[in-house]
Amino acid sequence: MALGFAVGVFGVLILFHAAYSTIQYRGLLKITEEEFSGPPMNVVAELLLGLVFCIWAALTVPGKFLSIQPYSEENRIVSLPANSDFMIFNHRGKVFPLEMDVKLKH
Amino acid sequence: MDSIPTFNAEHLQSNMKTVYYSRTFLSIIGGVIAGIMGFTSLTGFIFYFLIMAITSVGLLAKAGFTVHSYFDSWNRVLLDGFLGGLMLCCCCDASAWGLEIDLIFLYQFL
Repeated sequence: MALGFAVGVFGVLILFHAAYSTIQYRGLLKITEEEFSGPPMNVVAELLLGLVFCIWAALTVPGKFLSIQPYSEENRIVSLPANSDFMIFNHRGKVFPLEMDVKLKH
Repeated sequence: MDSIPTFNAEHLQSNMKTVYYSRTFLSIIGGVIAGIMGFTSLTGFIFYFLIMAITSVGLLAKAGFTVHSYFDSWNRVLLDGFLGGLMLCCCCDASAWGLEIDLIFLYQFL
C-alpha cells in the first residue's frame, strides 16, 4: 500500500519533470520561431513511463476488491461472540453429526 | 418461488469506491498528459477514451476477470465514472495548458 503510494508519487513527479522539459522546449521554439508540433522523443518516453507508474499506482492503492457473494469463504456470517460467558454447550445439538470442515471467521 | 440474488451491499459499495478512485486519478493524469503533449480537441478525446479503456482492462484484471464475485453487473466496472472523469480530464488539460503558458511568460520576464 505504501509502495503503491510511493510509486504513484514518483509517477507524478516524472510527469512534472516532463512538463517542465516541455516548457523549456517551447521556450526554445519561441526563440527560434518554430511551431510546436509535439514534445521531443525523450519527453514522450518520460510521459509513457510516468503513465505506466501512475496506472500501476491507481490500480494498487485504493484497496482490494471485496467479494459480494454472501456464501463465499470470506463472507461467513458465523463468528464466536467475544463474550463467551453466556454460551452454553449442554443442549440437544450434540446429537447432530460433527461437521469437520467448518471454518471460523476471525 | 425464485430467490432474488442478494449481495453484501457494504462490500459492493466499497468496490464501487475503489473503481471511482482509480478512474478519477487516471482521468486527472490523462488530462495532464494530454496538455503536455499538446493534444487538441478530437485527439484529446480519443486519448481520454484510450486511457479509460486501459483503466477498464486494468480493473478487470484486478478483479481477476470474474466480475460477478465483486460487482453485480458489467456496466458498473466498465462504464461508471466515465463521464465525470471526462470533465476532470478537460479541466486538467486546460490547467496544464494554462500552467505552461503562465510559466513561459514568467520565464521570459525573469
